[in-house]
Amino acid sequence: MNRVRNLQGPALVLSLLSLLWIIVILGLLALKPSALSVGTITTILQFSTILALVSLGQGMVILAGGAGIDLSVGGTVSLSAVLGMLVLKAGLSPFFLPFVCIGTGTALGAFNGVLVMKLRILPLIATLGTFFVYSGVALSLTGGSAQSGVPDWLLWWGRGVLAGIPVPFLTIAVPAFALAGIVLAWTSWGRWVYAMGFNERSARLVGVPVDRARLILYSLSGTLAGAAALFSLAWLGSGRPNIGQNLELESLTAAMLGGIAIFGGRGGVGGVFAAVMLLVTLKTGLLQLNVNTVWQVGIVGALLIFVLLADRFSQSWR
Amino acid sequence: MRQLKDGIFSLNGRELALLAACTLAIIVFSVASPYFGTPGNAATILRNSVELLLVGLGMTLLLAMGGIDVSVGIVMGLAAICVGRALEANTDPVLTALVGPIIGALLGLVTAAVVVLGRIPAIVGTLGLLGIYRTAIFILLGGQWLSGLPTGLTVLLGTSLLGVPIAAFVIVLAYIAVWVALRRTPFGLHLLAIGNSEEKARLSGIPVAKVRFATFIISGALAGLAATFYVASYRNVEMTIGSTLALDAIAAVVLGGTSILGGKCSLVGTVLGVLLLRILQNGLLLMGVPSLWQPVVTGGLLIGVLSVEVLSARLPMSPLGWARR
Repeated sequence: MNRVRNLQGPALVLSLLSLLWIIVILGLLALKPSALSVGTITTILQFSTILALVSLGQGMVILAGGAGIDLSVGGTVSLSAVLGMLVLKAGLSPFFLPFVCIGTGTALGAFNGVLVMKLRILPLIATLGTFFVYSGVALSLTGGSAQSGVPDWLLWWGRGVLAGIPVPFLTIAVPAFALAGIVLAWTSWGRWVYAMGFNERSARLVGVPVDRARLILYSLSGTLAGAAALFSLAWLGSGRPNIGQNLELESLTAAMLGGIAIFGGRGGVGGVFAAVMLLVTLKTGLLQLNVNTVWQVGIVGALLIFVLLADRFSQSWR
Repeated sequence: MRQLKDGIFSLNGRELALLAACTLAIIVFSVASPYFGTPGNAATILRNSVELLLVGLGMTLLLAMGGIDVSVGIVMGLAAICVGRALEANTDPVLTALVGPIIGALLGLVTAAVVVLGRIPAIVGTLGLLGIYRTAIFILLGGQWLSGLPTGLTVLLGTSLLGVPIAAFVIVLAYIAVWVALRRTPFGLHLLAIGNSEEKARLSGIPVAKVRFATFIISGALAGLAATFYVASYRNVEMTIGSTLALDAIAAVVLGGTSILGGKCSLVGTVLGVLLLRILQNGLLLMGVPSLWQPVVTGGLLIGVLSVEVLSARLPMSPLGWARR
């Protein structure tokens, strides 16, 4: 078997992403030199936290194979944020807010896992169904209006900046990626994930608990979405029922761009992290240049196709 | 091979169950709301089903082939902009009606080129195109809605000589055309063979790339036709046009019994799936349930039906055997 590190991501994807990232940054500096400041970096990292957390969960689900995909991540973020605020309004102590958000996310993710692993509904369809349900319930419960009243101590955490780096980024996003990277690269659990993604039959034959592992990964994707919801509350100061809009597409793009193979078994969290940084830098750059962010989805779509084509053709040349 | 022998309107277990569900829903809503069971409301439901149905028929072919297209809603949006511009320029009505399908077919060709020639998995390739097309819509609209368009296409909303809504006519015609293509031509046979196993289809000498190209183009043309109807009835094109249409279509098609794994599909099921969704949405709205709940109904129905199907198939003496295919 290849060493696991070789599976972590095609080196080509990582170098392409880094190159593109440098081009984006240089382009931004050329067009607007004043953008080079600590403030810009802080903004980029703040914007990236939600996408980073959600993409990590999405990436792990896809990595484990079995046509794994989680289209419900956006709905999970919205519903976790909204439920957290509604429970707060119903009189629960604010102390429990983080637990409610993350707990809701985990439960919603586990429900996906049960649909996929216990009922054997195809992941694309099962999470498409829960995408409709979760995001629809989040909108219906609130009538579409933002729920305010986030406690001050949470805002203090969510908006805090330490040496130019946002505190939530340091305290959730970085540890989550580091932990996922370590687990994937150096533990038997991580090897199982690659094994079941690479060849499910062989993995089952050597005794890897494929079903249980995938169920846990779906739950984990929900947990990370719940953490993203908590951060959105702490950062924005209100629970917005549409906060997760388009996250399913963005996180899928980040995972694909980051070199995770859609059929599983190949890719790593490093690539996902690089892809998230690239996407958010692009978005922030466009904002700084006063270009409508609608341009971002187009550029990202073109990037996605470009990177895949580059990967494809580099393979056929080898 | 049973699929080949299916008649044009014959029903299997899943389809009968859907038909029963539609009938039940109609009865319940008619009793519950005095506004539901009127001819006007029936026409409204049909009218609201046209776009989803046309896009759904294309999606059925794509899924049967083992493909998918998540950009198809935005393709309808782009085609709608072109139809709107043609209307503004006072083009001949017949030509205007053709603009939609032509633009749709061209965009289908682009999708096929990316997915088939680039050998990118369809879901990822169309996801990328979705982003590009969204930006294209923004550029074409220049930040403003097309609104108050001329009434050149309103003719499509009226009734025909026989008193049947033209929308119903188009639905039946499109259905028959797609059914003939799928069940009575080599193209359809090849499409299903590719859905079963692309490798085997290739080895048996089926022109895989050609068939895949044709299917994406047909799906695009159907989305373009949907755009014609969209513009005819709303006479405006907004920035978010079609943003959830592709996912709605996938839900309706899967509800109808088509497998996203390919090789197996049900056109009647797609029609019934779309109608059931629209009947439920319309009926619940008339009973005072806010429209925000509509996605919950779509998703709940999808999960519910598939779960019941799986669970009933597991029971040894299945009392719900009708749901098994």
